Amino acid sequence: MRKKSEPSFEFVIPISYGSTEVIETGKWGFQKPHTAFMTPPCQEACPAGINIPQFLYLSNEKRQDEALLTILRENPLPGVCGRVCFHPCEANCNRAQYDESVSIHEMERYVSDVREYEIQDIQPLSNKDSRKVAVVGAGPAGLSCAYFLSILGHQVTLLEAKKEPGGVMRWGIPEYRLPKSILRKEIQRILKLPIELRTGVRVGKDISFDELSQFEAIFLSPGAGLNAPLSIEGEDLKRVWRGGDFLEGINRKDKIKLGKETLVIGGGNTAMDVARSALRLGSTVTVAYRRTRNEMPAIKDEIDEAEEEGIRFEFLIQPVKVSLNKKKRLRITFQRMKLRGFDQTQRPKAIPMRGEFFTLETDHLITAVGEQVDLSWMPKELIKNNLLDAGSTSKIFAGGDAVDQPRTIVTAIASGKKAAISMDLYLRGEDPDVIFSKIRVGNKSSLSMETYLEGRDSGRWPEVNEVVSYQQINTLYFEPSRRVRLRKRHPQKVLKDFSEVNLGYNSEEAMLSASRCFFCGTCNNCYNCYYFCPEGAISFDPVQGTRVVDFIHCKGCGTCAKACPRNVVKMEALS
Amino acid sequence: MVIPDQQPNLLRPGHAACAGCGLAIGMKLVLQTMGPRTIAVIVPSCEGAIGGVYPNTSYGVPTIHSAFEIAAPTAAGIANALKIQGKDDIQVLAFAGDGGTFDIGLASLSGATKNNEDILYVCLDNEAYMNTGIQVSSATPSYAWTRTTPEGNPHRKKNIMEIMAAHYNPYSATATIGFPRDLQQKITKAKSIRGTKFIHTLVPCPTGWRTPSDISPELSILAVETKVFPLYEVEDGKRYTINHEPRNLSVQEYLLKQGRFRHLKEEQIRQIQMDVDEEWKKLKHRACHSRSKGK
Amino acid sequence: MKEFMTGNEAVAQAVKLCRTPLIAAYPITPQTAIYEKLSDWEASGKLEGIMMRTESEHSAMASCIAASLTGVRTFTATSSQGLALMHEMLHFAAGCRAPVVMVNVNRLLAAPWGFWADQLDSLSQRDTGWIQFYCENGQEALDSVIQAYQIAEQVYLPVMVSMEAFFVSHFMETVYVPEQEQVDRFLPPIDLPHKFDIDKPGFLVPVVSSELYRKYKQMAQVSMDSVKEIAVRVDQEFKKEFGRGYGILEAMMLEDAEVVLVTAGSITSTARLAIKDLRKQGNKIGLLKLRLFRPFPREGVQQALRGKKKIAVIDRNISLGSGGIFCQELRAALVHSPDHPLTFSYIAGIGGTDVTPEVIQKIALDVIARSEPIDQPMWIMEE
Repeated sequence: MRKKSEPSFEFVIPISYGSTEVIETGKWGFQKPHTAFMTPPCQEACPAGINIPQFLYLSNEKRQDEALLTILRENPLPGVCGRVCFHPCEANCNRAQYDESVSIHEMERYVSDVREYEIQDIQPLSNKDSRKVAVVGAGPAGLSCAYFLSILGHQVTLLEAKKEPGGVMRWGIPEYRLPKSILRKEIQRILKLPIELRTGVRVGKDISFDELSQFEAIFLSPGAGLNAPLSIEGEDLKRVWRGGDFLEGINRKDKIKLGKETLVIGGGNTAMDVARSALRLGSTVTVAYRRTRNEMPAIKDEIDEAEEEGIRFEFLIQPVKVSLNKKKRLRITFQRMKLRGFDQTQRPKAIPMRGEFFTLETDHLITAVGEQVDLSWMPKELIKNNLLDAGSTSKIFAGGDAVDQPRTIVTAIASGKKAAISMDLYLRGEDPDVIFSKIRVGNKSSLSMETYLEGRDSGRWPEVNEVVSYQQINTLYFEPSRRVRLRKRHPQKVLKDFSEVNLGYNSEEAMLSASRCFFCGTCNNCYNCYYFCPEGAISFDPVQGTRVVDFIHCKGCGTCAKACPRNVVKMEALS
Repeated sequence: MVIPDQQPNLLRPGHAACAGCGLAIGMKLVLQTMGPRTIAVIVPSCEGAIGGVYPNTSYGVPTIHSAFEIAAPTAAGIANALKIQGKDDIQVLAFAGDGGTFDIGLASLSGATKNNEDILYVCLDNEAYMNTGIQVSSATPSYAWTRTTPEGNPHRKKNIMEIMAAHYNPYSATATIGFPRDLQQKITKAKSIRGTKFIHTLVPCPTGWRTPSDISPELSILAVETKVFPLYEVEDGKRYTINHEPRNLSVQEYLLKQGRFRHLKEEQIRQIQMDVDEEWKKLKHRACHSRSKGK
Repeated sequence: MKEFMTGNEAVAQAVKLCRTPLIAAYPITPQTAIYEKLSDWEASGKLEGIMMRTESEHSAMASCIAASLTGVRTFTATSSQGLALMHEMLHFAAGCRAPVVMVNVNRLLAAPWGFWADQLDSLSQRDTGWIQFYCENGQEALDSVIQAYQIAEQVYLPVMVSMEAFFVSHFMETVYVPEQEQVDRFLPPIDLPHKFDIDKPGFLVPVVSSELYRKYKQMAQVSMDSVKEIAVRVDQEFKKEFGRGYGILEAMMLEDAEVVLVTAGSITSTARLAIKDLRKQGNKIGLLKLRLFRPFPREGVQQALRGKKKIAVIDRNISLGSGGIFCQELRAALVHSPDHPLTFSYIAGIGGTDVTPEVIQKIALDVIARSEPIDQPMWIMEE
């Protein structure tokens, strides 16, 4: 009944079935985007050069194993650093100029703790030219050097004078700041590498310095284990103690009894450790420092926590004499100080005020006015300005508190790594300066072991990247937020014993903190470029996860470059 | 992080949008979220230019290029026909510009909405008739330059969301390209609701707003953060939910980045700030009021 | 079934019988009864489908076109102002080749205002590409709607069925309402080759080049022309099934006629009466009814009027500045006729004024008396 009528033409009305993809709109543009990774300022500021954005990214993605491995490539002691480091990374964090810095320090601790120190080991390189090398002193610098030398495939003998390794981490820092169980697990992980640790071996006593020459390269990190004296009358009285000895006694679990009141002299980390330990032994504690709070060399976190715990501070006073009063308590004579001018390190100078004396009475006096290096066993050519200096020798390298460098755990670790690389280069007959310029992180002194391993045998070194400044970050894409506050043990319980004070982050807090990272200079798959390309010319390789640009259609509008909050995409003019 | 799906683009590249076009970004995001089981309606506007010339098109879903003022009834006709055919898993999407929504298409949109036709209507608002060369519309903001208001637009932008709310339709929302996940969530939510859904999407236009081609997403973020274009939802014309607390930047940060506002005098900027603050206060009040009333 | 109803209701019956599932409409006197009847049936479930109560006629047509292109049968009805408002969409419908069927109740166009019969509203739309039928009475309107769907769904062009305001729309007459089975037999389900296909995404009616536009327009012209044959065939099939046929033209007493009156719509019914009387008076007069207006049945008209020398066209419309539209079209069809007939244009019934048998008599006698050609239309201004 019904006839299929005209027309026999394929379609009754025009319908487009073709795709505009045949139109090469890429020819319209005069610039194209390209990926340019940069170095973040936190990584540059970290003496160990840890790839911070990468470990934060991995942790945020709940890939904690990989996050921890990222840190372990540059620093073998994250559980320690995550508790005691002075975190220059946070001071240089770009986010600090926006709202508050990222909680990098706490995240380093979280990533270590959450894996409970049980992960797949870092494998050493197979080194056809493996040499016998020695490391003297198993403190942070020595452990670090031994770790990296072992990774580089050398046969390491690690000599430690005391009966346990750890150095200042074991014998100096108290339990409430760094639980020894944590330290033990970290050292165990290091020792999973083929390192021969010999404890109870003191150079100059159990083994002579010359015997070390059997090794082809030697790293000396004996630390600064001697307590500096006050050099005042009465210093040798019975209840006047040296801070270092006091802390070592506590860390040996000796039974120490303190009187009702204790006075601590000093303004550095040791003084804080001493004061807070004394508090936990039941004494009321006053800390006396010859300058003001601003000039105290201790880490600010330590000073704040000491104050919170109820330690009193007396500033601008200096002890001049110690004696006993009638009741056999200590009487210390103090002179008042004032600040005038600057010393050679540009810090304000403390000048005694003439005639301004007064006395304080206390049960115990503990001094923490500096640490010195035991130079007794060293050859003369290695000593300079009362410090260890291996600069003039060829096969001897030095690091840690014993050399002329800031005395922090992470600086020691970094010096161990630098020495390991220097020793490896020395053993291969290569020029360290050339290589260092290729493995430097940013413009400060940090070196990247990961980069070194990449280029060491292949000779193919990755591009040295510039450091991202805050002005290069597009902060519009970040919601202002505050750092996650760290939880601490309840103030009423905290002084009852030496249990760890800071409780660390839980997984939610960690995710929140990691997600605050700007990820300066690296791609964290925020997919802004993908979302905002009007042509849909940006996609992500499903396997590699890398960015792919469809240049046939990219009009070069520049949106992806502007929309990358972390300055990874740059527009390049076409010739 | 959500990995973007590896589905082929439903707004295919090779289209004729200007470099940096915010509307293209908006359409791409909407189409991608809608998925291939969608029939789309577009009208003469930049969408038409993007659609392409026979035999090629950039649209990856069946689309009809209807007349200018009838995006809504066209979509409604399709939706009802699909219902009759029992094909209830196919969504109908209507795209119109600000001209086709606020001006010439207002009556037909109102008619479709009052009938609660089952369509998802997305207004791609670039605040003027851009395709025909930047002429003023009733979506053009105060004092903006256009070719037909060369001394600046003397009128205020219509509040289309309030007009829609007066219809008590089940779901309306504002969205913009600078908040892509928010836009996608709203489209996904709208898909699951039966009835007329309206998404007012702000899409910056480098050509018409006289801005460089690379900052369209940034401008839309600034529009939200300065409260010029708050992100919120309205359900059944009475329940208001604000989706994003703005950072309260001053309107200057948004206005002076655009060439179309560069001639603004101090008192005009102050007036704009006052208007924006007043509207925000009203919106907060409505949002508060909705919450306190419960459901 | 034999029933007694108005033209509007008859049309509504046809729509229901055709199982049209999507109706979009907007009320306008004198169409409202169609809209209301269909709404009644939709509410009670007698009509299975969706009624779209749009906010304007323009949107109603837009919805019909869109629904049509999705592949369902659609219907709308309107009149005068509403039809004029739809103008843009009428072009669009034809361009989309959407088989929409619309009933237009011919009503005068403002300004000034009025509601009565005048055919200018639908005739103004003669260029839009719609097939147009003009009906004499309610029965013809009902039957034409059914035939319209059959034609539209074969050639993919929209169809407008016109009937005059009040004279047909509100006039109650005997109407034979077909049985549902008959209509189901006659009208198979709709099948549109160019509808939306979710599995093969295409962009319908994109921007095209000039050449391509020309090609599609030419194709549409070919389809339009084919309607002349198709409409005849469909009418014959209709007659077989339902017992009633109309043809695209109807010739009455033409064989020996010396004067032919040409009419369309309800005036035809009056003319049938008048012709009888005129014949009784000895006048050799015949009547040609125009039913199909678009496409204009040129060949049919030429054939029917072969040898006729005097033709008078009665137009219930005026194209200002030109003349009656039926007359213009007829004159154009006869321009090459070897008979060189005299064609006279009479304007009667404008604004719904009554065209009584006396008026027709007057016109006929006037034509018979004339022997010289006269170009301009002659207005009948009887009170």
